[in-house]
Amino acid sequence: MSIVNLVFGGIVGAVLWPFRGLSPWFGLTVVSLLTALLMLEVYKHTSNQAAIRRAKDLIKAHLLEMRLYKDNMRVTLAAQGAILKANLAYMAANLKPLAVMIVPLVLILAQLSLWYDRAPLRPGEEALVKAGLEAAADPVSLGLELETPPGLEITAPAVRIPDLHQVVWRVKALAPGTGRIVLRTGDRTVEKSVVVGGGPMAKVSALASRGSLWKQVLYPGEAPLPAGTSVRSVEILYPAKSLTAFGVSVHWLVAYLILSIVFGFAFKGVFKVEI
Amino acid sequence: MSDTKRTALSRREFLKAGVAASAAIGLGGAARFTPRVYGQARATKKMIVLGLDGMDPVLTRRWIDEGRLPAFRKILEAGGDFRPLGTSLPPQTPVAWSNFITGMDPGGHGIFDFFNRDPKTYVPVFSATETSGAAKTIRIGKTVIPLSGGQIRNLRKGQAFWQLLEEAGIPSTVFKMPSNYPPVASKQRTLAGMNTPDLKGSYGIFSYYTNEATTITQEAGGGGRVHDVFVVGNRVAAELPGPANSFRAGAPEATIPFQVFIDPSNAAAKIVIQGHEFVLKEREWSNWQHVHFNLIPTQSVHGICLFYLKEVRPKFKLYVSPIHMDPARPALPISTPESYSRELEKRFGPFFTKGLPADTSALDNGVLDEEEFLTLDAMVYEESMAMLEYELGRLDEGLLFFYFSNADQRQHMFWRLVDPGHPAYDAKLAARFGDVIARTYVEMDRALDLALKKADKDTVVLVLSDHGFNSFRRGFNLNTWLLREGYHRLKRPWKQEESAYFDNTDWSKTRAYGMGLNSLFINERGREGEGLVAPGADKDNLVREIARKLEAATDPLTGEHPVLRAFIAKDTYRGKNLEMAPDIVLGFNRGYRISWQSPLGGFPKEVVEDNAQKWSGDHMSAPDVLPGIAFTNRKFTAESPFLYDLTASVLDVFGAEKPKDMIGRNVLE
Repeated sequence: MSIVNLVFGGIVGAVLWPFRGLSPWFGLTVVSLLTALLMLEVYKHTSNQAAIRRAKDLIKAHLLEMRLYKDNMRVTLAAQGAILKANLAYMAANLKPLAVMIVPLVLILAQLSLWYDRAPLRPGEEALVKAGLEAAADPVSLGLELETPPGLEITAPAVRIPDLHQVVWRVKALAPGTGRIVLRTGDRTVEKSVVVGGGPMAKVSALASRGSLWKQVLYPGEAPLPAGTSVRSVEILYPAKSLTAFGVSVHWLVAYLILSIVFGFAFKGVFKVEI
Repeated sequence: MSDTKRTALSRREFLKAGVAASAAIGLGGAARFTPRVYGQARATKKMIVLGLDGMDPVLTRRWIDEGRLPAFRKILEAGGDFRPLGTSLPPQTPVAWSNFITGMDPGGHGIFDFFNRDPKTYVPVFSATETSGAAKTIRIGKTVIPLSGGQIRNLRKGQAFWQLLEEAGIPSTVFKMPSNYPPVASKQRTLAGMNTPDLKGSYGIFSYYTNEATTITQEAGGGGRVHDVFVVGNRVAAELPGPANSFRAGAPEATIPFQVFIDPSNAAAKIVIQGHEFVLKEREWSNWQHVHFNLIPTQSVHGICLFYLKEVRPKFKLYVSPIHMDPARPALPISTPESYSRELEKRFGPFFTKGLPADTSALDNGVLDEEEFLTLDAMVYEESMAMLEYELGRLDEGLLFFYFSNADQRQHMFWRLVDPGHPAYDAKLAARFGDVIARTYVEMDRALDLALKKADKDTVVLVLSDHGFNSFRRGFNLNTWLLREGYHRLKRPWKQEESAYFDNTDWSKTRAYGMGLNSLFINERGREGEGLVAPGADKDNLVREIARKLEAATDPLTGEHPVLRAFIAKDTYRGKNLEMAPDIVLGFNRGYRISWQSPLGGFPKEVVEDNAQKWSGDHMSAPDVLPGIAFTNRKFTAESPFLYDLTASVLDVFGAEKPKDMIGRNVLE
């Protein structure tokens, strides 16, 4: 999984690299465009274009039938049934391309979340560092300690919560830069990256964890935590990044999906794809 | 830009500038190109008015002479002027600022006291605002659907001076003017001040979570609530109370559950509320926390509050401030234009929106100690200073009015520590906090210094306070006095001390009653619900008799007269809005004030009693006793200007016309 994350991270990073100093909208628009083109190509080659065209034609024909024979209940009901059947056929024809597309799409989304979901800490800003522990670990007797890099300081004692298998620290960003926080228990350590400052397109990884493959897919920003310690995850509660358009706050995921769909429909003719 | 540079502007740069300008318009920069005046004329002068609530002329003079207030001294040394400022009758904050807002006295603007009463029911009501729910609703199951909106009305009459300036085309910014909630209609930038409620619709109700037996005294319109909690396995589960949910039958209180996780040995805890987590150390304040109360799936109200982890062990003590309206999404109108509060929020983040943010009730009840109270009020001050600097920075023309509440609030709470004769004087506390009032005046001086730095030679600077201050050593139980003198009758005299809200009053035999902080009403036939005294000569004679006796009343402990002057309202006030006026307005002597229980219809045993509360300084005296301050970088033309004169003076600075019903006159050279 690490290799896959590395490849996709490299690709997304390379695409966004020219837009680092600009508004996040520029990079998101380009990624949405490339995603739309990629998905059109995937869709074209994995879908049964003839079946899709046929299903759509049938739907249109039966809609016309309903309009023409709207006074005839029997014909109308039959047309509705046929539309339903054609719809099911249309959806069935989409299953295969969707199943293929979902894999790269999830990987792209996971990579994009590193760039768009969280904002780096600003100097002077405080955040929580949360260590999630194994169920068998007792946070009180574990003696887990947090070490911070220069540019970050701990501003409150650890809060150890046995019920939640959790230890929480509050840290304050002092100066811009990147570094690694270290959680030490005895002679074992785990590390996690931390980002303070940076431009509007700073890459931020909120969580480092070990465990399921799914977590590695969803949080691709860092290598999995090493086994052999009681620490399952380390999370920094970075502030949410906000995108605004004409004064209205928009979630990046919504913006990305809308832009991708718009580009997809805009270019489907060019690629001669029946959607 | 120099000519050389202008010439050197390349075609590419010209195009870039054009694109940038277009982008600025498209992305919200258009407002910068909007004309900033609203009428025909354009202001050619600037005026900065600082409203420093409660600054006393005697103390101000003393500390100027001692060199502690350099900005005030500077204004005098540079040819400015200082006068004690005639305050309102009574010198209460909402009344006094209404005098300044309208240039009238209470007979004109109709605000006579903090409280008034519904004459038909004798029920106390707030005098400045009136809130009503939806007139028509339909009920579906437990859900209530309003068919019309509720209403909040500002009951002050007369035009505000910034409305008059608007008509004259003079732009104004009026920041936290007291008695301007809801803000009166205007295109000027105004932010509501005192009287702006918290999210519960009160003057501020804090929440206190503890496993220590605690009781607090409830106050009319505000105060606090103690929530008994249990610490189970280092975890506390509690609820934050919000507004009444009028979308549900019976309007139950909306609440938000939250949890506190306490470290087993460290003095710190994690608090989780609505998915948001933060850590506090013991004796530490949180930043503003956003909360929202879901009333029905499509309706929620947004607020902000501060958490203070007072103690984690041996007892658990957590204070949560009253929930302020979120200035980014206020549930009720708090600014004009509505975008103004959003604009400030965008620049400064969440800020105090409740009228008087200092939590005097929490200090009075021992929920916060002196240091904690001052920490909270210091946040208020620093926030005000930052916003003053911002507003001064963009004052190009017209008027800026800016209000500070700190001097008033701190004098109320710390006067006991500068008055060894006060019943609540504490020598140890006095050693620690005896200079709080002086330090607060120094802070007000810093605000003036900021304003003076911005003022050029054409800028008129005016500093005013609405009243002075004095000690509140002894409380006068007006209703008990009326009872003793035979003007008031109880149905069950043996239950006198348990009476509240006149629930024990025999109105059929009662001729007078006290309501509010300075007001006495005759139980007048035709006006009051169960009126007894005939209007006309009977009433007039009774008013004079009571006024005479009130002025003659003495404190058995000191031999002094608690009531220095009893003003007969109809002989004192000017204006046409006297229908809600009290019949007699009490002007107390120095050291005296109305008691705590009398204003809302209580009848304590003694007529005069010690005030042992931390709320120890006050300003309900006869106006002559407690003038405010007026400073200007010009000259005053009157020896004794009044608050309403300054209103006329503000208008005169800009050449705006004074309305006929304004009784003030220009007093600036």
